[in-house]
Amino acid sequence: MEETTGTDLFTVPIGPQHPALKEPSHFRITVDGEIVTGAVVRLGYAHRGIEKAAEARNWVRNLYLFERVCGICSHIHATAYALGVERLAGVEAPPRAQAIRVLVAELERIHSHLLWLGVAAHEAGFDTLFMYSWRDREAIMDVLEGLTGNRVNYSANLLGGVKCDVDDAQRDAILKALDVLEGRSHHYLDVVTTDALFLQRTRGIGRMTRNQAEVMGAVGPTARASGVPRDVRVDAPYAAYARYPVMRVVETAGDLEARFVVRLRELFESYRLIRYLLDNLPAGEIRGRMPRRVPQGETVSRVEAPRGELFYFLKSNGTDTPERVKVRTPTIYNLTSVVKLVVGHQLADVPMILAGIDPCFSCNDRTVQLEETNGRTRRWTWDQLHRYSLEVEHGRSL
Amino acid sequence: MMPTEKAIEIGRELAERWTFHLETRQPEPNRLDVLLASPDDLVPFAVALRVQRIGYLTAVTGLDPGPESGMLELLYHFCQGAAVVTLRLQVPRQGAVIPTLSMIIPSAESSEREIAEMFGVTFDGLRAAGHLYLPEEWPEATYPLRKDWCPPVPAGATTAES
Repeated sequence: MEETTGTDLFTVPIGPQHPALKEPSHFRITVDGEIVTGAVVRLGYAHRGIEKAAEARNWVRNLYLFERVCGICSHIHATAYALGVERLAGVEAPPRAQAIRVLVAELERIHSHLLWLGVAAHEAGFDTLFMYSWRDREAIMDVLEGLTGNRVNYSANLLGGVKCDVDDAQRDAILKALDVLEGRSHHYLDVVTTDALFLQRTRGIGRMTRNQAEVMGAVGPTARASGVPRDVRVDAPYAAYARYPVMRVVETAGDLEARFVVRLRELFESYRLIRYLLDNLPAGEIRGRMPRRVPQGETVSRVEAPRGELFYFLKSNGTDTPERVKVRTPTIYNLTSVVKLVVGHQLADVPMILAGIDPCFSCNDRTVQLEETNGRTRRWTWDQLHRYSLEVEHGRSL
Repeated sequence: MMPTEKAIEIGRELAERWTFHLETRQPEPNRLDVLLASPDDLVPFAVALRVQRIGYLTAVTGLDPGPESGMLELLYHFCQGAAVVTLRLQVPRQGAVIPTLSMIIPSAESSEREIAEMFGVTFDGLRAAGHLYLPEEWPEATYPLRKDWCPPVPAGATTAES
């Protein structure tokens, strides 16, 4: 992706190490004085070849592989994949399982939005807000850990259902955390819309109109902050979103401030949805039977990740291994808009505009590099790693 | 918001009224697959979908049916609400050159660059060439998402026990 205008007077390389975020990507920003005239992005620093790897693993093992595409929105990847595989196999997960998928997805959205709020505040030099929002985010991490046993790769999904149920103690813990967070979120919304210094970094910066956002193919909160009513949870309800409808949060200003407001307002929608869901959780099984082999066919699975629409295309050749799994993550589309948006801005605004789309480069790149540790080359093949994991789990050598 | 059925119907109507011979399939209620006869149909049909407001290009998937087929297949997924209209285009495995959509759909650029380096399809008119994901030193004419490419096992790979 590239955007260049005018005469390039000076080129500022940003990244690949820590380009405003603690994830690798490389930007070449051309500037005329302090004003940005062009931007080029280079990706791939976290490319792990996951789509290729999926073609050598069976449907079940791939669930765990795709959960590891992203460390922030891991659950939504597994959900998109599981829903697609279930559709190909003609299996429908029980209603309670679908509701729990939505529950974990919304908890994940809260954790992701609070994480982003902290990162974006940090980019603006507002480290107090960063520390507060990350402190509060711990409440959700604890809830997710209590529910699934894990803080990051929750592994809540199985093919045909979910792994974890919700009991009364967990329900109370979730509600208690939500009460605390709701109060805090009101405060944050107040801060980002009234703090004069903060507004100087966000209001009118990185503005993208609705038409521009549509043409650029922006997705998720980035698109909704520009007035594009695009939310897969509403447009094409999946899992249990038809049963637990969610409201689309749309702002029209299209600037950085609007991107803050959209994500914060989405938090309230997630709190409301989770409370309603916990009060109306269907009884019954949480997992169904799933065949090992999946009939031939193709399907498309679209879900709303915290950063926007996540797209999976799955093709089965009738065996226990997929023929092809294609993943299109939200960040790659929002990045297109960044390289256009930064032109004409101050160089100092670039990190904020970049952070404004809540980019996730691991999602984007999806790759596996074999590991090297401490100068001593130690490379494992996948089979070796798999055997090792079985040994650890069963405490025996295979 | 346009209902799903209407979007599918518009896609079907566009395909049926097309000058060239096209075949359509509806594998799922919300999906319409349009098999394009020639790469020449790609840009006009994408413009037609865009004009009819089904022009949100969600993703481009590359498929490799295997070396013996001599083909590669590109799938352009356009979405409107829950509807997914997919333009399917078969191209020769060797030396395929097809027109870029990035002139009318800016976000197509990243998808096309990914397909170019992963499958070895050339997009005519794509501004930025070069690698987007793969390393600069990646060997030429090596396309990792093709079925006949197998990842090399690194030399000196140790066992789990060591």
